[in-house]
Amino acid sequence: MVRSIADRAFLPTRGLLEEVGDMVVLTGRTILSALRPPYPYGGELVSQFLFVLRLVWFPLLITTVAISYGAPGIQAANFLRLAGALDRLGGFFVLAAIREIGPLITSTVVAGIAGTAITADLGARKIREELDALQVLGVDPVKNLVVPRFLSLMMVTALFDLFALLFGLFGGILAAVVNGQPLGPFWATFFANTTTVDLWGSVLKSMIFGAVIAIVCCYKGMTASGGAEGVGRAVNQAVVITFLANGTFNYIFTQMLLATHPNILVIK
Amino acid sequence: MATRQQHRPSGHQGEAEFQWHTGVHHPTGVPDAIEFIKVYKAFGANHVLQGLDLGLPEGRISMILGPSGTGKSVCIKHMVGLMYPDEGDVLIEGQSVPSLPDDELFEMRKKFGVLFQDGALFGSLNLYDNVAFPLRQHTEKGEDEIQEIVMRRLHEVGLGDAIAKMPNELSGGMRKRAGFARALVLDPKIVLFDEPDSGLDPVRTALLCELIKEVHAENGGTYVVITHDIMSARRVAEHIAVLWRGRIVESGPTAELLESENAFVRQFLSGESHGPLGMD
Repeated sequence: MVRSIADRAFLPTRGLLEEVGDMVVLTGRTILSALRPPYPYGGELVSQFLFVLRLVWFPLLITTVAISYGAPGIQAANFLRLAGALDRLGGFFVLAAIREIGPLITSTVVAGIAGTAITADLGARKIREELDALQVLGVDPVKNLVVPRFLSLMMVTALFDLFALLFGLFGGILAAVVNGQPLGPFWATFFANTTTVDLWGSVLKSMIFGAVIAIVCCYKGMTASGGAEGVGRAVNQAVVITFLANGTFNYIFTQMLLATHPNILVIK
Repeated sequence: MATRQQHRPSGHQGEAEFQWHTGVHHPTGVPDAIEFIKVYKAFGANHVLQGLDLGLPEGRISMILGPSGTGKSVCIKHMVGLMYPDEGDVLIEGQSVPSLPDDELFEMRKKFGVLFQDGALFGSLNLYDNVAFPLRQHTEKGEDEIQEIVMRRLHEVGLGDAIAKMPNELSGGMRKRAGFARALVLDPKIVLFDEPDSGLDPVRTALLCELIKEVHAENGGTYVVITHDIMSARRVAEHIAVLWRGRIVESGPTAELLESENAFVRQFLSGESHGPLGMD
């Protein structure tokens, strides 16, 4: 009885820790494989980069504008109008769009669209034994499949972060205009509060989000089992783990950024 | 490599579930190209290989026969280093696979051609490029020479007219034949077939078996076929190893296995419902 309860509590935890350990090992192998010659993954890198770009840009555009206009835009504008400080909306958008919403929406949309596609693709190849065939033919799947996805997702999420910042700001401008606010004060408070730390922090955070998405989604795809149902399960798990991992990383990164750059806490 | 002994007791002979596992190995007179030595492999609580002792002779067509879910495909993955044993050793021409470092393992795999269950063709490449893939990956041959080899192999398996087709445009039988052509393209010393008859109708299974025999007669090498189809075994095999519950029940030249007194072997090779093998 005690053993059964202990097993029910302990075994899933052990399984989870083993998976996390495997993903850490995969990260290490991916970085080593990316750096160590030869570099056969150039073509696949470009193709993955363009693939993600093509799939993600439009959904990201719509999501960023809608969420920025809807959440910090309308909600914050209502609140600031009550306080008679609608001109602070620009300053608030530094916090909302650059530091948080830009990277988080980018990672969510990239994970939901490109990450799931990667897991489904690799999962299907695993089920069809293509990955085994590659290994038997002397092709290292980490170097040839994981590395290009890892690098392309890092690059593309960093670029998309800038894209999301622009369209996030557009949502803020829209909110200011709808509330009858001239744009001069919006820009004034926006630029008064923006620092280069905010910008590189946002891009770096997004880049690491991309790395997490690539590792989790590749791992889940390459370890899929149980036929079509198993691939579906792997996709679902990949998305859940990516959101959890990126949410946790976001908290740690934000704390570290604020601790090492306390000046960005000061509202000007 | 020494010829294996006549009798190989397999660990826990007293256990009731292994009462039919006599471990008898009828001598073949040739050294073993592939050897499993007391191999154990488990996936969680599922113990797939339970002290597997197996030798497959060089230059012959060997068949590993056994009921579904008894660890046959796991054996193939151990041979090419896609899986490692929890205990025991796997030797390929005397070389221990689990102790090979990655670069030597990739080198060792060049000895192998593998036909996976569904062909395992790369979905993004057409038939020609699939078969040319190993040549482009591992050799310095020019495109003209590659074309000559690929077309020869594709004609050999009867797919010379389908080179531009994508894998999803091929039938199950065509995918297997294409996988066979790709497995042969580097002239491997050892060719492994993972259930080549699965999903095929009896006529196409017979044709594929004929093809395996013809290609072996022409090229030689050690062929290992994993199957649970008795007819395929009777048609193709020169050597049979019967696998059940992760251990070899009995193995040896086909003629001797077909005359075996072992009740399990007799039941399995004759496909009868009465005998030690039930639905469990």
